[in-house]
Amino acid sequence: MSGCLAPRLSILFVVFASMMLTLTFVVPVRAASLAPSHPVSFELDVQPILTAHGCNSGACHGKQRGQNGFQLSLLGFDSDFDFSALAQQSRGRRVTITAPSSSLLVQKATAQMPHGGGRRIEPDSNAYHTLVDWIAQGVPRRIADEPSLDRVVLAESEFSLAPNQQAELSVIAHYSDGSSRDVTELATYLANDAAVVQADASGHLTAGPLPGETAVMVRYMNHISVANVNIPRTDPLPDGFYEERPRANFIDDLVFQKLDALEIQISPPASDAVFLRRVYTDVIGRLPTSERAKRFLESNAADKRAELVDEILNQPEYADHWANLWADLLRPNPYRVGIKAVLNYDNWIRQQFRDNVPYDQFASGLITAQGSTWRNGAVTLYRDRRSPDEIATLISQLFLGIRLECAKCHHHPFEKWSQRDFYSFAAFFAKVDRKGVGLSPPISGGEEIVFNSERGEVKHPVTGQVLDPRPLFGSVDESIENNPRQALSQWMTSTENEYFAKVHVNRIWALLMGRGLVDPVDDLRSTNPPSNPALLDALAQHFQDSGYDQKELIRLIVLSNAYATGSQPNATNKTDRLNYSRHYRQRLRAEILVDAVTAVTETSETFTALPPESRANQIWTHRVDSMFLDTFGRPNENQDPPCERISDSSVTQTLHLMNSRDIDRRIRSDSSRAARLSAAEIPATEIVDELYLATFSRQPSIEERRYAASLIEKSGDDRRNVIEDIMWAMLNSPEFILQN
Amino acid sequence: MIHDWKNCDGVSRRDCLRLGLGGLVAGGLSGALRSRAQASESSEGQAVGRQADACILVWQDGGPSHYETFDPKPLAPVEIRGQYHPIQTQTPGIQFAKPMQKLAAISNELAIVRSIRHDQGNHGAGNHYMMTGAPPRIPVGCGAFVSFHPSMGSVVSQQVGAPDGIPAYFSIPNMSRSGGPNFLGSQYAPFVVPDSPNSSSFRVRDVTLPSGLTDQRFDSRQKIRDEIDTLLRYQDAAVADPAIAVDEFYEQGMQIIGSPQAQSAFDIHQEPDVIRDAYGRDSFGQRALLARRLVGAGVPFVTLYHGGWDHHTKIFESLDKKLPPFEATIAALISDLKQQGMLERTLVVVLGEFGRTPKINKDGGRDHWSNAMSVMFAGGGTRGGQVIGATDRQGYAAVERVLAPENFVSTIYRKLGIDPGQFMYTPEGRPVHLVSNATPIDELMS
Repeated sequence: MSGCLAPRLSILFVVFASMMLTLTFVVPVRAASLAPSHPVSFELDVQPILTAHGCNSGACHGKQRGQNGFQLSLLGFDSDFDFSALAQQSRGRRVTITAPSSSLLVQKATAQMPHGGGRRIEPDSNAYHTLVDWIAQGVPRRIADEPSLDRVVLAESEFSLAPNQQAELSVIAHYSDGSSRDVTELATYLANDAAVVQADASGHLTAGPLPGETAVMVRYMNHISVANVNIPRTDPLPDGFYEERPRANFIDDLVFQKLDALEIQISPPASDAVFLRRVYTDVIGRLPTSERAKRFLESNAADKRAELVDEILNQPEYADHWANLWADLLRPNPYRVGIKAVLNYDNWIRQQFRDNVPYDQFASGLITAQGSTWRNGAVTLYRDRRSPDEIATLISQLFLGIRLECAKCHHHPFEKWSQRDFYSFAAFFAKVDRKGVGLSPPISGGEEIVFNSERGEVKHPVTGQVLDPRPLFGSVDESIENNPRQALSQWMTSTENEYFAKVHVNRIWALLMGRGLVDPVDDLRSTNPPSNPALLDALAQHFQDSGYDQKELIRLIVLSNAYATGSQPNATNKTDRLNYSRHYRQRLRAEILVDAVTAVTETSETFTALPPESRANQIWTHRVDSMFLDTFGRPNENQDPPCERISDSSVTQTLHLMNSRDIDRRIRSDSSRAARLSAAEIPATEIVDELYLATFSRQPSIEERRYAASLIEKSGDDRRNVIEDIMWAMLNSPEFILQN
Repeated sequence: MIHDWKNCDGVSRRDCLRLGLGGLVAGGLSGALRSRAQASESSEGQAVGRQADACILVWQDGGPSHYETFDPKPLAPVEIRGQYHPIQTQTPGIQFAKPMQKLAAISNELAIVRSIRHDQGNHGAGNHYMMTGAPPRIPVGCGAFVSFHPSMGSVVSQQVGAPDGIPAYFSIPNMSRSGGPNFLGSQYAPFVVPDSPNSSSFRVRDVTLPSGLTDQRFDSRQKIRDEIDTLLRYQDAAVADPAIAVDEFYEQGMQIIGSPQAQSAFDIHQEPDVIRDAYGRDSFGQRALLARRLVGAGVPFVTLYHGGWDHHTKIFESLDKKLPPFEATIAALISDLKQQGMLERTLVVVLGEFGRTPKINKDGGRDHWSNAMSVMFAGGGTRGGQVIGATDRQGYAAVERVLAPENFVSTIYRKLGIDPGQFMYTPEGRPVHLVSNATPIDELMS
C-alpha cells in the first residue's frame, strides 16, 4: 500500500493546481506532461476517452443492461444518459469530487480496484489526468461557452496504395466555434476487409500484399467517416484496351471505367448458347425448350438477343419467377398467419408482376395496404408484422436498404440513426389498427381487417415521449397528416428519395450479375460503400426516369455487354469478385433446378396444395413438401423470420441428384422424355441433339454427337436404358447444375 | 418446443443451415494427406505431439449459464447464485451445480475451464470467436451468420482427413453459424445429417443406389458422365469456380456410396439396445451415439449442435427440464468412449458462445455474458479431476488464469496434432494466421 502514497500526493497537488486553474489563473502550473490545462468538457473530453478505451462498447458498459449495474450509452451517443450514469446515479458514488483520484470511476478504469474489464486506462496517462481533472472541477455537465462537435473530417479519404505500402489516417474534429482538434489518437478504426488493408488503433494503414480494395470506417463520437483504400494491380493494361471495346449502354461505360482504373482486363463475351441459358434462368427462372434454343442458336438476325429478351419478358413465367424471388423477402409462415392470408398475399404479389406494376406502386400497395386479409393480399403484411417497430424495420430494410434494427435499442453504431429517428419513423405505423380475428397459431384461419385508426401512438422507449411521425430524412407532405402511411409512401417513392431506387436496382443487379454493387444488397450505408458508386447512381436515375419499370431495368442490364461477358478468367481478373470483369458462375436456384429436372425428364414433380403440372416457382408457401427444394437450400419457413436461402453446393445435393429415389423414378418413368425418344423413329443423332438442347441449351459438338449417338446405335434392346443413362449423366454434370 | 430453440434475435436455428453453408465434406484422402504434410512443414520448429485422433464438440447454442452448470456460486447473494445448490463431485474440492448429477459422478474424467472470456456479447460474434478462434472482423448483429475464418472442424477436415469414403467433418443435425470452411473451400464444409437417429426408420439418405439400379448400370452411367461432362473448369482457386466444388462433392459422394465403412458407421441400428438406452432415447442422445460411431470409423471432428440455451427468461423452469437429459447423454458418451477404449484418443468438449449474466433479470432469466464462461473437456489425453482458472466470488468475471478463445482453440488444434501457429493462405494468396495467439492451455495438455 505504501507504493500508492507518492502518486496520491502528486494527485493532491494536481487537484489543487487544477482547481486553482479553473478558478483563478490560466498559468500552466502542472508538470508539462500532464493533460489539458483548460476546463474539461464532459462531451468533448471525457466521453471520447470512455469510447476510445472501450468502456461504452457493446460487450461492456454499453450493453443493453449495462455491466455490473453501471450502464453507459453505446459508444457514447447519449451524453445526458452517460453524464447521469457517471455523476448522479448510485447516489453519486462513482465520482468523489473531494478526492478525484479515489473516485470509483478512476479506480476501476485503472484497475486499482478489481475491475471485470481489467485496466483500461494507465495511471498517469493523459486520459487519466483528464478524468481526474474533470472530477476535480466538480463534474460539470458543460463548461462555459462549450462548442459542439460539428464534423469529423479525414485529411485524406481516398488512398491508392502499392502492396505492403503504409499510410496514416489523420482525423480532425471541427467544432461549432470554429475550432478544431486532431483526434486521430482517440478515433476508432475498422477495415471492412483486414486482409486487404489493416488499420491499427492509431489510424495507421498497412496495405496487404495483393491488389484489392476495401473501406476503412473511422468513428469519432457519433460521427463516422469512411476512407476508401485501393491497391491497384501493378502491371498496366495495354494502351487503349477499353477504348476499343463495344458498349451497349451506359452500364458498359461505367463498368469499363472502373476496370480500366484497376488495370483489370475484362473476359471475352459469352457465346450465344451461354447467353441463352443465362438470360432464361435469370429472367424467367427456367430453361428454354429444345425447340426455342435451336431456333435462337440458328438465327442470324443481328438483333436476336434483344428480340429474345423482349419475348421472355412477356412470358407468364416472368411473373412466377419474380414473385418467387419476392416471396423470399415477404412470405410469412401460414401456421402463424393462416393459409388463406398467405395464399392471398402470394396471389397479390404474383399479380403485381403479371401486370408489371411500376415498382413505386408495388411498394405503395404494401405500405398503405388496408382492408380484409381475405380480399386484399397485401394486407397480410400487417397481419404478419403487428407492431409499429416491427413494420418499420421491415419496410426500411426492404424499400430503403436502411437497417434500423440496431436503432431500436440504441443509437446505430455504424450509422447516423438514433433511437429517436427509429421510433419517429415507426410512428408512421402507429395508427395501423386491426379488427376481426387475430393470430391463433397453428391455424390462424380467421379474417382480419386492417384500417387506419384515429388512435395509436409510438413512444420513445427511454423518455416515454410520444413521437410524431417523421421520415428518416427530408420531410413528408403535411397535408395528408390524417393518413400517415399515405404520407410515408409518397415520401419513400418520391424521386427525391434516392435510397428507394438504389436498393431495388442493386437487388436486381445482384440477381442478374451474381453480386450486388452494394453487398449485402439491402444494407446501404456510408460505411458499406458500393463497388461502383457512379454505376449505382446511374442505374437508380435510369430506373426513376423509366417510371420505376422493372422490365425496362432488366432489359437494360441483360442487354449490356457487361452482362454478356464470359465466365472464363484471365490473369488480371481471376481474383476479381467485385467489378464484373467476368461472369461469376453460380449454382442454379432450387426452384429453377427442380423445374429444369421436370422439363428435361418431361415428368412433373407433384406438389401438394397446387394443381397438377405446377412449377416450383408457383409454390405459394415453403411448407409444401419437397425433399429436392429442401436439399437445394430453399429458406425454411419453420423459422420466423425464415432463414436465408443457401446458394452453395453440397455433397447432399450431389448425392440427391445421383441417388434420390424420386429423380431415378422420373428418369426411368414410362412417360419420361427418355421413354418417348426411345420409342420415336428418329435417328440417334436427333435424339442426342434434343437431349443437349433440352438440358444444356446448346447443340452438342461433333465429337459429343458422335459419342452419344454411337451409344444409342449400339444399344440394341437396351436402347431406352442407354438414353436414360445419358440423361442421368447430363443431369449430374456441372453444366446442368450451374449457370455458366 | 419451437420457443425452446429460439435465440434472442428471434431466429430459430434448428434447421437453418442443415445443408451447410457451402455444404460439405472432406477431400479425398490424398488431398488430406497432402495438406497435412504441408501443415507439418509449416510448423515453426515446435514438436507436434498429437494426443487425440478425434474431437467431439458439443455446441450449446445460445450460451449456457456457467452458474447453473460448472461454476456454482453458493456464497453470492440469491439474485446471483440462483436456485441450484452446488453438489459435491467425485473429485474432492470440486463442485458442480445441482442438475449436473451424472457428470459430477464421473468428474475424475473431466477438466473444467472456468476462466475463458472474450468481448463478443452476441450470438453471431460469440459463435464465430469460439468456433474459429478468430474474433469477427467487423461488428456483426445477433442474428447474423458470418464467416471470416475457417472453423475448427473444417481445418481438422483439411489437415487430418478421414479414411476414404468417410467425410472428415460432421455437424449434426445442422451446422452452427460459423461452423463452415470459409476460404478453405466447400470440400471442408461439414457433412450434415439432419434426420433424427432416434427414429426407427433413420438412415442417412441418398447414400445408397436407388433400388433396382445395378452396380454395373451405375458404373456405365459414370463412364457416360465422364465423356459428357465437358464444361471447362477454372482450376485457379482464386476464381472460386463452383464447378470445382461440384466436382469435389461428386468425388466425395462417390466415395461415400462405395464405402462399406461409411455405410456401417451410419447404421445406428447395429448398436445394442442397452447402449442406445444409455445415451437416452431422444434425438440428442442418439446423435451423440452416432458421433461415437463416426469417430470409431475414423472421423476426426464431429460437432453436435444442441439448441435452446439462450435463457433470457425463466431460466430455471427451462433448465429443470433441459439439463438432466443433456448431462446424462454427455456422461453416457464419456463412459461409453471409455468402455470402448476410445476415450484416451477422443477429446470431448462442451461449450456455448458465452456465459450468462450474474444478476437474474426481471424475467427470471440471465442475459449474455462473455466475461466468464465454463468449458468442459474430457478425454484425448486430458487429465481429469481438475478445474482450471476461476471467476470471482460472484461469478462476474474470470479472474484467475484468464484465458481467451485463442487459447481454447489452440488447445484443440494441438491435441489433434495441428500447429495453431501456422500460416494459411487464402485462394488469393493472402497469408492468415490459423490462430493469432497459438498458446494452448497447458493444464489440459499434460
